[in-house]
Amino acid sequence: MSININTPSPAISGGGLGRGRIGQPVLRKEDLRLITGAGCFSDDVNLPGQAYAIMVRAPHAHARIVSIDTAQALAAPGIIAVLTGRDMLADGMKPIPHRPFSPHPADMPLENTDGTPIFTAPHYPLAPDKVRHVGEAVAMVIAESVAAAKDGAELVEVDYELLPVIANTAAAASPTAPRLFDQARSNVCLDGVMGDAEATAAAFARAAHVVRFETKIPRVTGVPMEPRAAVGAYDPAIGHYTLHAGTSGAWRTKADLVIMLGVGDDDVRVITNDVGGHFGTRGMLYGEFALVIWGARRIGRPVKWTCERNEAFATDYQGRDLVVEAELALDADGNFLAMRGSNISNAGGHTTNFSPLRKGVEIMSSIYRIPAAHFRARGVVSNTAPTRPYRSSGRPEVLYVMERLIDLAAREHGFDRIELRRRNLPTEAEMPYTNPFGMIYDSGAYHRVMEKALGLGDWAGFPARRAEARARGKCRGIGVANYVDTASGVPRERAEMTVHRDGTVDVIIGTVSTGQGHETSFAQLVTEWLGVPFDNVRILTGDTEFVKFGGGTHSGRGLRLASIVIWGASQQIIEKGKRIAALLLECESGAVEFRDGAFVRPGRGRTVSLTEVARAAHELPDVPDDLRGPLAAISDETITTAQFPYGCQVVEVEIDPELGSLEIVRYSAVDDVGRAVNPAIIHGQVHGGIAQGVGQALMEHCYYDPETGQLLSGSFMDYAMPRADNFPFFNTEYVETPSPTHPLGMRPAGEGGTAPALGVMINSIVDALSEFGVRHVEMPATPERIWRAIREARGGAQSMCDRNTPEVMLR
Amino acid sequence: MPTVSMTVNGKRVSAEVEGRTLLVELLREHLGLTGTHVGCDTTQCGCCTVHLNGTGVKSCTVLAASCEGATITTIEGLATEGKLHPMQEAFREHHALQCGFCTPGMIMSAVDIVRRKGNDLDERTIREQLEGNICRCTGYHNIVIAIQSGAAAMKQSRPSGAPPG
Repeated sequence: MSININTPSPAISGGGLGRGRIGQPVLRKEDLRLITGAGCFSDDVNLPGQAYAIMVRAPHAHARIVSIDTAQALAAPGIIAVLTGRDMLADGMKPIPHRPFSPHPADMPLENTDGTPIFTAPHYPLAPDKVRHVGEAVAMVIAESVAAAKDGAELVEVDYELLPVIANTAAAASPTAPRLFDQARSNVCLDGVMGDAEATAAAFARAAHVVRFETKIPRVTGVPMEPRAAVGAYDPAIGHYTLHAGTSGAWRTKADLVIMLGVGDDDVRVITNDVGGHFGTRGMLYGEFALVIWGARRIGRPVKWTCERNEAFATDYQGRDLVVEAELALDADGNFLAMRGSNISNAGGHTTNFSPLRKGVEIMSSIYRIPAAHFRARGVVSNTAPTRPYRSSGRPEVLYVMERLIDLAAREHGFDRIELRRRNLPTEAEMPYTNPFGMIYDSGAYHRVMEKALGLGDWAGFPARRAEARARGKCRGIGVANYVDTASGVPRERAEMTVHRDGTVDVIIGTVSTGQGHETSFAQLVTEWLGVPFDNVRILTGDTEFVKFGGGTHSGRGLRLASIVIWGASQQIIEKGKRIAALLLECESGAVEFRDGAFVRPGRGRTVSLTEVARAAHELPDVPDDLRGPLAAISDETITTAQFPYGCQVVEVEIDPELGSLEIVRYSAVDDVGRAVNPAIIHGQVHGGIAQGVGQALMEHCYYDPETGQLLSGSFMDYAMPRADNFPFFNTEYVETPSPTHPLGMRPAGEGGTAPALGVMINSIVDALSEFGVRHVEMPATPERIWRAIREARGGAQSMCDRNTPEVMLR
Repeated sequence: MPTVSMTVNGKRVSAEVEGRTLLVELLREHLGLTGTHVGCDTTQCGCCTVHLNGTGVKSCTVLAASCEGATITTIEGLATEGKLHPMQEAFREHHALQCGFCTPGMIMSAVDIVRRKGNDLDERTIREQLEGNICRCTGYHNIVIAIQSGAAAMKQSRPSGAPPG
């Protein structure tokens, strides 16, 4: 089936009167098990006879492995095996199949300017020769218990030859920096440009004003509350591996394992049950997943591994970490003319992923009308944990840069912040809008949404609140930030739908819910389109035994792509059903209509239900072969257009200038979700997204010692997580402007909470401190940083040039 | 190995444990009560919160051997006679969970907050009292609403004269 994206959105009528239709905040199907402790997360899985694995991890950020002595460990009580990188290579294990970019045609190409291929190097589950970040696994100890395995791991003797360490993003790009990979010319793996250099230079030459901003968006980590865990099994009789693990898509995990083990497609099964959060962190294969199934084959018993939180901090794929230098050119009236600059993204200790670099630079101009732009984009490696996309991959960083540039331009050149934004936001008449890098924004009522957010945040009433706060000795600030998000990712998805004889409907799909409530919102689609009672719909995911393809959950593609294939499968079910119903109603199939969950012959009053049709598919003797039961359909689609959710946030903060402490007093957000399926889930997604963005802006930071590459934020005692008392209630609203590039008009809602949060938070903080002359506060804007910024601006004691000074300033 | 006996969710249980075995390990691995989760190794996240003799504790920081004779309630024991506890109902009703991993600890903590602070909880109190429970999905918004609502519902469902919680 092909979908013509130019046809109008299907009408949402068509049966399913009652609970669970599109647009209802119906309670989630998954919650009953989760609130009673009956969920099944990865560590809840236990297989008979299982042994336990513990990883021996490198204590150094950069070192050559001279030798590994396992003799003492093997002699310890309860130890079954100690396996090293050498054993792994001897058994033919292939590296983790990382892909530098997600393959989506809507994203802009980013290639090396000199025409050479992007540098990539093998990343093995156990480092065979060299470790490149603290925590990299060098051996796996398997024992009768976790305690025995831990004791054994202590006895593995690894002799390291220490190498010079480079942990700083900007410094890693230097040609003289210590190199991570001997076969590379430098740590710069990717050095490309986007945009039009000539047009940009010409625009800057005639600019009335130029504003400049340099910043470092710090490294953070996703911190799903469920630490990773995996249980692997191997059946030697049929040469078959089974992995139980929390993933963002079982099929993709299986496909990667098939490559690493060099086995057939049917030789690996991956099962994912409940998953305790994702946020991008679970978006790529982890080496331990391959190790437990390989270990199970080696020892002839299932092997279980459960990550501890300190290991998660050191070895989960981390996010952000971008150094930016940017300039914005304006004419005398405040029209944006051009922007230019340079971005350096830090991939960490392996060439895992450069997607955030590309996803950022291609929308460097954000949602605004900027005729020309030119950026250099570099991806580097360093002696830190590998990175990959984290919630709203690459965009929160660059959107923050744009929103800071606008506020700086307003302040330094005498414009009103809001007027500057109004002047440069494309109107609805300008849609679709092509940005200076070539990205085509599908549609949007940008002005309407910003005005709505300003109203929600009571921008107009702010001066009175500021005056009231000042009377109490507090500094109030207000900030605004717009965003546009690019929803692309793996473009293919597949749904398999079966209507059973008892009237229940099963949908098999290749995404996995990691908290987004797919069992509920996907079922609402089926209830809407097939008129089936909500309780009769079952969404089946996460087991490659029946999931034959799936792109996984990322890039706001869950509901966005699922809706397309569930719609496609529903339409096939209806068409097949009409032909069967025609036999029951004794008429031509063309005379049958599908209404309110039943097939009718208009004018004759006779109807047959979907259930009766599903039964007839099995039981009627004269059903044509292609309609013989079960009544089922498969929709497999590749959607090459991206969607562009957008929105605006307004935040008000209150700062105690004596302490630097900060309270968020109002947080307002408006998102355009295109078409809302479950409003409760949408608001929940926005709330959680905001909290992650605010966490980055105010407190979170994966801090590596620049000299040693040691992670100094390796536990919840050191890595500041947002807690309940960091927030007020959020004021969130959404609008529904159908996306013209999505057949059902949908725009994803999962990343919009995070995308503008960095910019709006820092804008509001700087506004609060404007009376002191503070120009900027780097992230995370901790009370100490705020306090120092006030003191420095007041001309008091100079702050110590300590580790809290942004590294961009240290170059 | 020493044997420890206690009452878990109304049932008498005994298990042989090492001196270093934690209460959460006993619950999850010996008794198969996997609703209590382990989210960290520093007693910060609160995913493992259970009630020990009626008081909320983080079961990752309690030695199983120290629980001789104790009465333990886990998330699996909160619903009684097939009926959800009002706090469980409130979490579902107000969409106070997304991935659900922190949820058992959140609910057990919430019931303990009501025990300590009563049924009429204001927003500030709830936010401060949740200091020991981390959620990464919800931004806490709906959790605070659910606890407020669940606390009030506990008052209504409580027989008159019975203590809160």
